[in-house]
Amino acid sequence: MSSAHNRPLSDPEIRVKALESLLVEKGLIDPKALDELVDTYETKVGPHNGAQVVARAWTDADYKKRLLEEGSAAIGELGFSGMQGEDMVVVENTSEVHNILVCTLCSCYPWPTLGLPPVWYKAAPYRARAVSDPRGVLAEFGVDVPEDKEVRVWDSTAEVRYMVLPERPAGTEKLNESELADLVTRDSMIGVALVQAPV
Amino acid sequence: MNGIHDLGGKHGVGKLEVEEDEPVFHHEWEKRAFGLFFGVAPHGFFNLDEFRHSIERMGAAQYLNTTYYEHWLHAYETLLIEKGAISAEEYAARCAEVAAEAS
Amino acid sequence: MDILTPELVPVIVANGASTRVESDLEGRFKIGDEIIVRNINPEGHTRLPQYLRGKRGTVKRDHGVFVFPDSNAHGKGEQPQHCYSVRFSNVELWGREGSPKDSCIVDVFDDYMDLQ
Repeated sequence: MSSAHNRPLSDPEIRVKALESLLVEKGLIDPKALDELVDTYETKVGPHNGAQVVARAWTDADYKKRLLEEGSAAIGELGFSGMQGEDMVVVENTSEVHNILVCTLCSCYPWPTLGLPPVWYKAAPYRARAVSDPRGVLAEFGVDVPEDKEVRVWDSTAEVRYMVLPERPAGTEKLNESELADLVTRDSMIGVALVQAPV
Repeated sequence: MNGIHDLGGKHGVGKLEVEEDEPVFHHEWEKRAFGLFFGVAPHGFFNLDEFRHSIERMGAAQYLNTTYYEHWLHAYETLLIEKGAISAEEYAARCAEVAAEAS
Repeated sequence: MDILTPELVPVIVANGASTRVESDLEGRFKIGDEIIVRNINPEGHTRLPQYLRGKRGTVKRDHGVFVFPDSNAHGKGEQPQHCYSVRFSNVELWGREGSPKDSCIVDVFDDYMDLQ
């Protein structure tokens, strides 16, 4: 008897176990494939991938041009592609424009570059307010957008997936590509944070 | 449909709450719920648009009061039964067995 | 594939499942067009958010041809059509509560809008 279940199972636990066991019995799923998927999105596919794309764009002007013109192809050059990122558009933060991403209708998010979305991105408060009060939302994230700067909110209502190319902070001129990638956070590629130079 | 999922611009749906350094999955069952989508997908019982719509059909109160992967669970239960991949009876029976085994 | 095996996982992850359709189909809109979103209120699946209905915007980008979710969710076929990035000023969307410097850029299918 497994010691992992010396307590009653929660409702979702019961339902998931029931579904999985039924589907296995019917020969429809292989649980080891599910294990592999979980491992993939827990350890392999994540924001560290997007950070490499950003660092490359910061250090290679031609790459950046390709990235902004044909997102999927350029991201694919670095080996990132596929599920929930088959058709990507990268939008650039500049001194004039600040971009922020949302999916008001569900949770669409660029998995190949950022992995799976955080809970707050998928929950009602962010989805409701990002389109109508982006500056208020950004302020809650600690980002104060100057009044004369334009904010663009990208609502992923179709199958195109977006990613923000954040601004490279001052004081990073001497860093190499890998060191730059280490600075790039998931939140900066959603547009709810700025990349900070090392202290 | 003009469901509650269509949240853009709504007021009164709660305060933004951010968990720092949150894990990709918060529970073991969420991992299974995630993986199930891709396990089931090759069989063509439903497409992604049907999947999303089944969640939209949940009903407003339930939608707002359940978590993200509970939405996915709802979608599997709804669609797999509607499309005849599993029957409501065998699913209910299996849930009862699983619950009994654990208690 | 009959069943997803562990070996196939990296393949499906890397390939994904794009809903882009290779097609010569012409779109009804071009970049720069001033559009007005249709006032539709379908009971079925749509990817046209309520906050856009009847609003005026500008076509900024043509993403190409994709499967149309509204039909695909109801067994009515793919009805492939162009999908566009359309920019809406936040004042247009939210009235005086909207910030005039800001905008929402939303992916809008051909069937969701008309020329002004």
